[in-house]
Amino acid sequence: MTNEIIRLTQTVKGAGCAAKLAPGALDKALCGLDLPVDANLLVGLAQADDAGVYKVSDDIALVQTLDFFPPMVDDPYSFGQIAAANALSDIYAMGGIPKTAMNIVAFPSKTLDISILRTIIEGGLSKMREAGVVLVGGHTVEDSELKYGLSVTGYIHPDRILTKKNLQTGDRLILTKPVGTGIISTAIKAGLAGQALTDRVILAMSTLNREAALTMEAFQVHACTDITGFGFLGHLAEMVVDSGRGVRITSANIPMYHEALEWAAMGLIPAGAYNNKNFRGSFIDFGADVTQRVQDLLFDPQTSGGLLIAVAAAEADRLVYALKAKGIDCAAIVGEVVDEPVERIIVE
Amino acid sequence: MRKELDCRGMECPAPVLHVRNELEKETPAAITVLVDNEAARQNVGRFLEHMNYKVNSEIMGGEFRLVGTRADGTVSLEMPSPAPSAKVLEPGTKKIMVFVTSDHMGHGDDGLGDMLMFNFLKTLKEMGPNLWRVVFVNSGVSFTAEGSEAVPVLQELAGEGVQVMACGACLAYFHILDKMQVGEVTNMLDIVTGMQLAESVITV
Repeated sequence: MTNEIIRLTQTVKGAGCAAKLAPGALDKALCGLDLPVDANLLVGLAQADDAGVYKVSDDIALVQTLDFFPPMVDDPYSFGQIAAANALSDIYAMGGIPKTAMNIVAFPSKTLDISILRTIIEGGLSKMREAGVVLVGGHTVEDSELKYGLSVTGYIHPDRILTKKNLQTGDRLILTKPVGTGIISTAIKAGLAGQALTDRVILAMSTLNREAALTMEAFQVHACTDITGFGFLGHLAEMVVDSGRGVRITSANIPMYHEALEWAAMGLIPAGAYNNKNFRGSFIDFGADVTQRVQDLLFDPQTSGGLLIAVAAAEADRLVYALKAKGIDCAAIVGEVVDEPVERIIVE
Repeated sequence: MRKELDCRGMECPAPVLHVRNELEKETPAAITVLVDNEAARQNVGRFLEHMNYKVNSEIMGGEFRLVGTRADGTVSLEMPSPAPSAKVLEPGTKKIMVFVTSDHMGHGDDGLGDMLMFNFLKTLKEMGPNLWRVVFVNSGVSFTAEGSEAVPVLQELAGEGVQVMACGACLAYFHILDKMQVGEVTNMLDIVTGMQLAESVITV
C-alpha cells in the first residue's frame, strides 16, 4: 500500500466517453460486415441501438450491452460508480431491467497499486446493488492504461422495447441530465475544476438512469436513448436518421453546466466533440442566436449522461413533473418532433 | 515581441494549458503555435481568440501552424487564474459576489443601520460589470420582498445582468416567500458554489 495520492486522470490520454473511437471510423469498420441472421434477434448491430435485444420467449427478451472507458475523475471509487452507472444506462434506455453484470478491467499493475482496482470495483458494486444487479464474473487484462466497465444483461418484454427509432410528429423531447461533462472532465484533467463542481458532476455522472426509466414507464413514450459519447446532437441525430421527421431544439431549455460554457470558450474541449461535429454537423442547422460555445456543448461527449425521451405531446408536462418529483430536478422539454424539414435538426 | 511554441505530440487539454502558461509569463504581441491534430488546432484557436488574439491558421502536411496577433499591442490582459477557477470571465472583469446577511449594516443604532444598508445597495451599481451576484440571507432577504424600498434598486441591478438571489429557507422563515418581487430563490448549495466561483466575496 502506498499513501501517495494518484490522480487517475493523469495516467491516461482520453477521459471517459470522450475516449470513444470517432463515430465515422466505427461505421467504416462495421459497414458491410456479413452478420449471422437469427429471427429472434429483435435489435442488433444493424439497428445500432443502445443495447442488443434477443427474444427468448413470447414474453421475455434478453437485453445486452457493454461499456468501458479510461477514468474521467481522479477518485477510484467514483470512477467505478460512474463506469457502472454508464454501462447500466443502456439497459434503462431500452426500457429494460438490468439483472446481471460482468466486470471488464484493463489494469496497469506495474504502475498502479492493486488496492486502487479493489476500490474501483467496490464503487461499481455499489451501483450494481442500487440497480438490483448481481456481479457474475469478469475479465482482467494487463494494460498500459487503466480502463473499467461492465457487460450488463437484463430482460424486457419483447413488445415493450424502446428503441431510438419511433419518433412521432408532435412528440416532445425530454432530457434528464445536464450536458457538459466531457468539457468538465477535460478541465478536471487540466486541474482547473474546483472541488465543489467536481463533486457536483461526479454525483450527476454516478446517478443511475433508473428512476428516470421507471418514471417514464407510465407514460406514452415513443422512443428513448441515453446521451453518451456522441454528445447530445450525435445521439439525437441517431434518432432522427430514417425517422422521416425532423426535430426542432430550443437550446435555451437544455440543462447545461455553465462552467462548461466558459471552458468551451477557452478551448478546453475534448477531441471527441470535434469528431462528433464532423460526423453529424451536416444534419444540423444552428440559428444565428446559438453561440459557438453552446454548439460546442451540444457536441460534447458525455459520460453517463441522461435519457433523451420522446413522449406524446399531451403527456410531456406531466412527465417532466413526475421526473422532478423523483428528484430529477433538471428534467426539461428541450425540443419537438416536426414533419418538416425531414431528417434535419434545427437548433434555435 | 514574437513567441513560438511547439505543441506537436500533445493531446487536449495539454496544448491549451501550455499556451496559457506561456501567456501568463508574458503577453507577446504575436504568438505562433504548432500543433499536430485538429482538436488542438481548434482549441488553441479558441483560447487565443478568448485572449483577444486574432488567429490565422495554416495547414502544413498533417500539422497546423497558428499565428495569433494581439488586437491591441499595449493592453495587458487579465488571465484566468488556475484552480479553483471556474471563474473565467471576459478579460478585464472580476467576478464579485456580495453576500448580504442582515437587513441593516453594522452594530449600534438599528435605524442608522437600515439607512446605511439601503444606501449600500443603492451604491453597489458603481462596481460596474465586476458585480456578478448579490445574495441575501437571514433578515437580508426582506430587501427582495414587497414593501422594501430596495426593490426598485435591485430590479435595476438585475436589469443590468447582475444575479440577485435570496435564500429560500430564509424567505420561508420570515413568511415572505410569496412576497418576493425581485431576483430568484436560491439554496445553500448554490450559495456555497457561488462563493467558490466568485473571485471575491464581500460580506455585509
